[in-house]
Amino acid sequence: MNESLQLLNGAIHLVLPETVLLATVCIIFFAASFLVSERGEAPEGLRHRWGMLSLLALLIAGWIGWHAPEVPHSTGPFVADGLTLFIRGLTIAVGAILVLLHWNQADDARSAESHACLLAILAGVNLVAASNDLVGMFVALELISIPTYLFLLLPRRDAPAQEATLKYFLLSIFSSAIVLFGMSYLYGATGTTNLMAIHQAFAGGSHLPHNALIAVATVMLIAGLSFRLAAVPFHFYAPDVFQGAQPSAAAMLSIIPKIAGFVALLRLMVPAAAGESAMHSWMMTPTATNLLWWLAVITMFTGNLMAFVQTDVRRLLAFSSVSHAGYMMVGLVVGMQASQQVSGIGALLFYLVAYGVMTLGAFAVLIAAARTNRRIESLDDLAGLSRTKPALALVLSIFLFSLSGLPPTVGFLGKFNLFFAAWSQGSESSRLLACLLAVNAAIGAWYYLKMIGVMYLRDPVDRSEDVRPMETPSVVAAAVCAVGTIGLFFVPGPLWSHIQLLVQ
Amino acid sequence: MFDWLKPNDVLWLIPAAPLLACLWIVVVGHVVRRQYAHRPVVLAIAISAALSIHLLVNVVPTGFGKTVEHAEHGDHDEHAHVEPSHAISTNVFGDTQVNGKTEPNPWIRIGPVGNSSLLVLPTLRADAMSALMLVMVTSVSLLVAIFASGYMKGDPGYPRFFAAISAFVFSMCMLVLAGNFLLMFVFWEAVGLCSYLLIGFWFKKPSAAAAAKKAFVVNRIGDFGFLLAIFMIWSTFGTLDFDALFGSPRMIADVVRSQPEVFTTICFLLFIGAMGKSAQFPLHVWLPDAMEGPTPVSALIHAATMVTAGVYLVARCTPFFVHAPKAQMFVAGIGAITALVAAITALTQYDLKRVLAYSTVSQLGYMFMALGAAGAGTNLATLAVTFAMFHMFTHAFFKAVLFLSAGSVMHSMGDVIDMRRFSGLRKVLPITHITFLAGALALAGFPLLSGFWSKDEILAIVMEATKHPEHGDFYKVILGIALLTSLMTAFYTFRAYFMTFWGSEKFPEEAGHHPHDAPPAMAIPLFLLGAAALVIGGITGPTHLYGDYLAHTPGLPEAHHHEPNMLMMAVSSVLAIAGIGLAYVCYVSSPGIARNLKNGMPLPHRFSQEGLMMDWFYLRFVVKPLRLIASISEFFDRWVIDVIVDCVGFVPGLFGAMLRPVHSGFVQHYAVVMLIGLVVCLVSVLRVLAGTL
Repeated sequence: MNESLQLLNGAIHLVLPETVLLATVCIIFFAASFLVSERGEAPEGLRHRWGMLSLLALLIAGWIGWHAPEVPHSTGPFVADGLTLFIRGLTIAVGAILVLLHWNQADDARSAESHACLLAILAGVNLVAASNDLVGMFVALELISIPTYLFLLLPRRDAPAQEATLKYFLLSIFSSAIVLFGMSYLYGATGTTNLMAIHQAFAGGSHLPHNALIAVATVMLIAGLSFRLAAVPFHFYAPDVFQGAQPSAAAMLSIIPKIAGFVALLRLMVPAAAGESAMHSWMMTPTATNLLWWLAVITMFTGNLMAFVQTDVRRLLAFSSVSHAGYMMVGLVVGMQASQQVSGIGALLFYLVAYGVMTLGAFAVLIAAARTNRRIESLDDLAGLSRTKPALALVLSIFLFSLSGLPPTVGFLGKFNLFFAAWSQGSESSRLLACLLAVNAAIGAWYYLKMIGVMYLRDPVDRSEDVRPMETPSVVAAAVCAVGTIGLFFVPGPLWSHIQLLVQ
Repeated sequence: MFDWLKPNDVLWLIPAAPLLACLWIVVVGHVVRRQYAHRPVVLAIAISAALSIHLLVNVVPTGFGKTVEHAEHGDHDEHAHVEPSHAISTNVFGDTQVNGKTEPNPWIRIGPVGNSSLLVLPTLRADAMSALMLVMVTSVSLLVAIFASGYMKGDPGYPRFFAAISAFVFSMCMLVLAGNFLLMFVFWEAVGLCSYLLIGFWFKKPSAAAAAKKAFVVNRIGDFGFLLAIFMIWSTFGTLDFDALFGSPRMIADVVRSQPEVFTTICFLLFIGAMGKSAQFPLHVWLPDAMEGPTPVSALIHAATMVTAGVYLVARCTPFFVHAPKAQMFVAGIGAITALVAAITALTQYDLKRVLAYSTVSQLGYMFMALGAAGAGTNLATLAVTFAMFHMFTHAFFKAVLFLSAGSVMHSMGDVIDMRRFSGLRKVLPITHITFLAGALALAGFPLLSGFWSKDEILAIVMEATKHPEHGDFYKVILGIALLTSLMTAFYTFRAYFMTFWGSEKFPEEAGHHPHDAPPAMAIPLFLLGAAALVIGGITGPTHLYGDYLAHTPGLPEAHHHEPNMLMMAVSSVLAIAGIGLAYVCYVSSPGIARNLKNGMPLPHRFSQEGLMMDWFYLRFVVKPLRLIASISEFFDRWVIDVIVDCVGFVPGLFGAMLRPVHSGFVQHYAVVMLIGLVVCLVSVLRVLAGTL
């Protein structure tokens, strides 16, 4: 009894920042029920307090996380290796921007719950990154999914939001079932749920008799997690949900599940505290690589080709999110094959940061540019933005340039790293992948530049006076993202060398 | 006066002053106190001029070679050791201390790639030649800037004009001070840019815009040659630095021995660069059109300074040219053709400024003739350079005063410049008349005036060259052309003078009721320049002041003193006076002669009037074929490339439309497709697995 308490104590120690976040979630849920009346009336401006509280919680979590020691070897449910710490930092930074985006998206009465859900989601992502156990990982993944349903529905309860939430809910539990299926086969093949033990088992070569079991587990896990990455053919929810949900929720969906999905895949593939030198664990069968290769190619092409024909900005960004998932999968595919000069996994992690900065920035501008009676929905709503809101149009152009991968933005560096990693990997298939990546970047440039063209070359449709007060939090978020997008191009060194340390 | 300045500071301060003035006007003066925009410029150029004189008198002579007695050898050593002259130079970017060593900060550092690398320092460098050139440039610029403050008064682009002028002075100073070929090329282009901006100063006038474009495009051809020469110099010698190149005759001699053809090619290419900038045949067509710019610009850039940059380049590269006699003969030949062609054209022009422009082209040809005369022997090289540079020096003053006087005429005649529309102005414009006459006499080579001394020396050196055993005949032809041109120069100059200032008084209606003479801001520079045109040649020429100073330029071969050639002096005096007399007969005493000549020989007249049909030739054989190629390319671009690109753009949309029905919006469809995808993945992986088992 004493021993298990000690174990638990040690485990909690590893996930202290997440504990802070979840504690804040409890406080918000508890306090909100006293501050909001039964009929849903809340004091004016209450949402600012929830926003402040969320930011404070993230700050504390970040501060604790910053000072947390690295514990690369663990037999317990959690690890805290370099990857965990990196993902934690990324999640908290992304979370802070999301809090800013979400600031005015829910009214005073519902703000508390939605902010709490957001914090829970962030904690979930961190726990996935820290998990060392299949069960813990699944629970952490569900800690992302379930608050997400609420997060999609809470701010707005009209029909499109309900439809979006329902679609997401149904398809998400479908994918969770697939993941659970895969995990159960993995357990069946190895007899343990501890990831460290699983990796050790495979390293010993004892998996040979269970080849078919492991193959099924591999496919199931990849398929189930692909839903979170929004990889084709598991991406279908993305356009509909992005269209129906609040823009802040769409922004969250564009990046948070991707972080969770990729880190879960990395956790399953790469033993903790071992970089790419140990990439020959159970998932690294050539079949899995082939599968991921095809998924990456199909995802890139579908995402870009579909985005090409969209007229709704939100659907366009959804398909753009799909295509960027494809780009990142390129990094995963080449990262799984040994012997390359530039780390594919490193390129993937760098691109996660880059994509986070630019996509959140784009959504921030969409939120900030909304008019009194009308949000930014179709491309026509962007027409003439350069004249009505020149600063926002300029900043959005920066993000769109970055998304299409043009210098001087971080998007260029991200794509360049991925391309370079794939090309220098050396094999025919990787080089082909690199070329397909380049072709897709070219297709992608078309619709991003089309958006810029709409903003700068067309006349505004609605010329009425805009009385809406300025969306200060979103403007701040957009500014931060813009600085990041440009700044990481000129000073990528610290981030890049940190990532290089991680994957060595 | 400037003793407190370190020599290196003088070097960078000379160009820095006009640069500051230019920036000041661009940033502040463009908005505030627009009508006083000339003040900072005049002040800055005055500083530059004063510093240039300081450089000439005090700084550069410290680097002159001296005869040093070797005391330690005692009385046994009878030989005096002669220290070679060296240039004063400074690196603009300064030095850095690296590991205790002082290393100059580079401007461009490329490589090493393989075993070659390119290291260029932003070196400013002054020797005797550049100091003399600088004094000429800054002093003429100063007077022209003062003149322009009166001439351009009331123009809406007043600050813009002065910004461009100071930018030009900056670029020209940098060109002259450049310590390597690359820096020189950059400012070679920069003066071209300023010239473009100033020719097209009244850009709303289509002819001015076209002239600016023409000047720029024609100059490109020459610049291309210059650039190729720089490439070749770098690949041959591995450095572009003047001191390193010209300071080591042995290195040059080695290359001459091993690759003589490379050397000749470099010299040819350098001269092509000079041909563009100095308007030599057949690239001279841009200069007459450049008169569309304001007259002070014509005086400063297109007569006195920028167009002489080509002469300066060839003179600067004398250590190269002495080893390439073929290239030098080419230089002399082109110079002679240019002098003759331009003189013929100038005979019949009615536009006063165009007469002067063709005369400029012709005089530049003279200078190249002198430079080319060195092809007859290395011993002539220093004299050739001296005489060419000296003619450039005197020419700057008398041509500037001629142009500014023409500007003054234009100013009072309401911008009319056609000599058929006014005459007899000597009573109305006494100041302008006097200064124009001074310039015209100097240009015509009237005895004992500036042009006389310098032109005589050129004739003398060409005559010297005719003594060459092999190429003597070639130089005899050149000498003949030079003498003929000399006669024509006197004639057309005084034709213009008599047509403008003599005869019955006649004003165009644009001039208003009473034409007024130059205001003080214009008159003072005119007087100063006129005085310089009369006497500066006499002061510095026959006394060997100029020549002795210039001989200290590092890299020039040693030379003996040149004795005045009395025969040539006599011949050229006769020719000058004959030309003036002929003009008097034709245009003053019996004006019928000129008319009869014109009507009697319509074809030669037209030939001369049209500048030997050079523009027609270019239009027919260069512009039209290029237009044809352009239209073919446009057709190809529009109907082949564009169509392919459009198709490529169409394909993704097509595929996108094909994928669209799958995204139907029904969640059950989505689930089914996901399931199908999962099954496909599973089956494919298991099939592969089954294959391997």
